[in-house]
Amino acid sequence: MKKLLFFILFSSLISSLALARSTGCKEGNCDNGYGKWVYTDKTTYEGEWVATKKHGQGTETWPNGYIYKGEFKESQWNGIGILFFPDGSTYEGEWANGFMNGEGTFTWSDGKQKKGIWKNGSFQE
Amino acid sequence: MEVSKNSFKTLSEPVKQFGGLVGIIILIFLTFFVLNNIFGEGDELVAKMKIEEERIAQERKLNKLISSLPSGVLVSFDGTDNFKLSDELYEAVCKATKLIPQRAIMGANFLNFRAHEIYTINGNKIDETFVKWDDEKNKCFAGFVVSGNNVGVDETVKVSGEALSFLSTGIDTRVYFIKNF
Repeated sequence: MKKLLFFILFSSLISSLALARSTGCKEGNCDNGYGKWVYTDKTTYEGEWVATKKHGQGTETWPNGYIYKGEFKESQWNGIGILFFPDGSTYEGEWANGFMNGEGTFTWSDGKQKKGIWKNGSFQE
Repeated sequence: MEVSKNSFKTLSEPVKQFGGLVGIIILIFLTFFVLNNIFGEGDELVAKMKIEEERIAQERKLNKLISSLPSGVLVSFDGTDNFKLSDELYEAVCKATKLIPQRAIMGANFLNFRAHEIYTINGNKIDETFVKWDDEKNKCFAGFVVSGNNVGVDETVKVSGEALSFLSTGIDTRVYFIKNF
């Protein structure tokens, strides 16, 4: 019984250490400069950092296939950027506060396009 | 009355015993008939048990299928390096999937700002998730409901769309991409 308990505790410790080692700043400088950060859910950000925040040009890749390449401000998608959806659809244009805001083009995976002004993720007719 | 009493007495012992046995059997049947009428559910219970058995058998079949799938991202569309599901597998995976992880919810919220707002203010709480196979459209639909009830916002938003990709962990499957645009 004691051996089993010891084995469980030891396994938990090892897995916690392994998880801790696989997340966080993996390359470069994630305080001020250029670096790569890996989150616990395998989301990654590689790009510029200012005062420990994503700021400048960078690429954020989600494990489920969303990829944002473009400008970041205060860790949010802000400025000009392109979002690739998992099915191949894209939105290229202006972003504010993490949403499609401003001028941009949404392209569906079948090639159909919608171009114009977007506000908080909605197309303005 | 007296005559029938006397005629009963004149019967032989084995006949009397047989009559008694038949009487007891009839009494038992009547008792069960009355009890069944009072508590009902006899046929209903059998039907329910059959449905449950079928459900368990179906679940076992789906679990077997899930454990046979490759671990990683499974998609229902072309154009990626991920494992492409056949039509049959797509339906089976859809029916076996119950979980929707946070990134899939966040992705769907890109196209629904109000859902994002409520999801943010309520502390990332989801009221309800659903994954359903649509027999008519032959498609898998998934979605979730967010509400601000826990923070005093009397508003509920339902987000739904086609579930086009899944994550197979080897133990279960999760919706990975909800196309709500």
